[in-house]
Amino acid sequence: MKDPYEVLGVAKTATPEEIRKAYRQLAKKLHPDLNPGDKHAEERFKEVSAANDLISDPDKRRRYDSGEIDASGAEKPPPQGRYYREYASGAGHPYESAEGYADFAEGNDIFAELLRRSREQQREQMRRAPGADLHYELQVPFLDAVNGAVKTITLPQGGTLEVNIPSGVEDGQVLRLRGKGAPAPGEGPPGDALVQIVVEPHRFFTRDGDDILLELPITVKEAAIGGEVRAPTTTGGVMLKIPKRSSTGDTLRLKGKGVKTRRGAGDELVRLKVVMPKEPDAELDSFLAGWTPPASYDPRKEM
Amino acid sequence: MINERDFLERAHLDRATLEVWVHEAWICPDCSAPERAYTEMDLARANLIHDLKHNMGVNDEGLDVILHLIDQMHGLRKALAEALASLRDGGTRA
Repeated sequence: MKDPYEVLGVAKTATPEEIRKAYRQLAKKLHPDLNPGDKHAEERFKEVSAANDLISDPDKRRRYDSGEIDASGAEKPPPQGRYYREYASGAGHPYESAEGYADFAEGNDIFAELLRRSREQQREQMRRAPGADLHYELQVPFLDAVNGAVKTITLPQGGTLEVNIPSGVEDGQVLRLRGKGAPAPGEGPPGDALVQIVVEPHRFFTRDGDDILLELPITVKEAAIGGEVRAPTTTGGVMLKIPKRSSTGDTLRLKGKGVKTRRGAGDELVRLKVVMPKEPDAELDSFLAGWTPPASYDPRKEM
Repeated sequence: MINERDFLERAHLDRATLEVWVHEAWICPDCSAPERAYTEMDLARANLIHDLKHNMGVNDEGLDVILHLIDQMHGLRKALAEALASLRDGGTRA
């Protein structure tokens, strides 16, 4: 940051009145809203404002003069976020004025012609503007989201909307149905319907990317000596071979039984869970009581 | 939209001053609802008025003239931009 005295063009010995005058003089010349076409005005105005901020305050000026603070701390953003000129170029605000050029616009010269053409284009654009997009939410059962389905939404304004749900659709995904939105105000095409998918949870399946996760309860016997059990997949049951000596937490992979998308198919990951009988079982109790596990069988030996 | 209370706070204005500014049509809030509503543009305009009055020593009479000329200048800039755009468009179409 430059020397604030230099920025304002005053001597180090300037009186507060001289500083105020110098600042006003520069502000009148440099204020961005008085120079709407000057891209650098904001930068220069900021510099001048910061300089004024620093040396118009007697306390800050004293500290600056004594070297206690330097000029860099004074560069703060202008009090307002944005200047008026950034809004004034828009249309349809209450401060719009045609009084500065109305005579040109009515004439027969090139300016009037160009202006007429541009306004016609704008009208034409308005005429051909598409209708608004309409937003809907659709609850989809888990299996329909995985396998795909056709659903019908009943619209609040009457009528129905058929939604083709692609297989593998994800929770939160938005489907765009072209031309199913609001009709255009003019002659343009209707807008689109945007349907946000909300996937309902499933009783035992969950989804992780393109894989389906399932926890499969098995008996102690199945866990110990293995066996074939029926495991549900999203497209029906399949026979699954449980290896001997399976434990809770062991995970078996059913290749290609996950979510099918254009990327390919995920897998189903079956996590085994050994479940003891709920009812008392004297036979099992007496059998296990008579069994002495070998010393090598210590599941807690790592602890 | 900004309500009047927030507008006064963000523009660092008191109600009486704002009343004068609205009465002079320097600020034109949306009065379609029972409570006046303001835009970010109104806020930027209020800041400009503040700058003109307090940092540049413009008095109320002068302010009226300046705001009117600034509005005209923006109207003119917009018309010029539109004319240039249609000239550019016409150029590519021809």
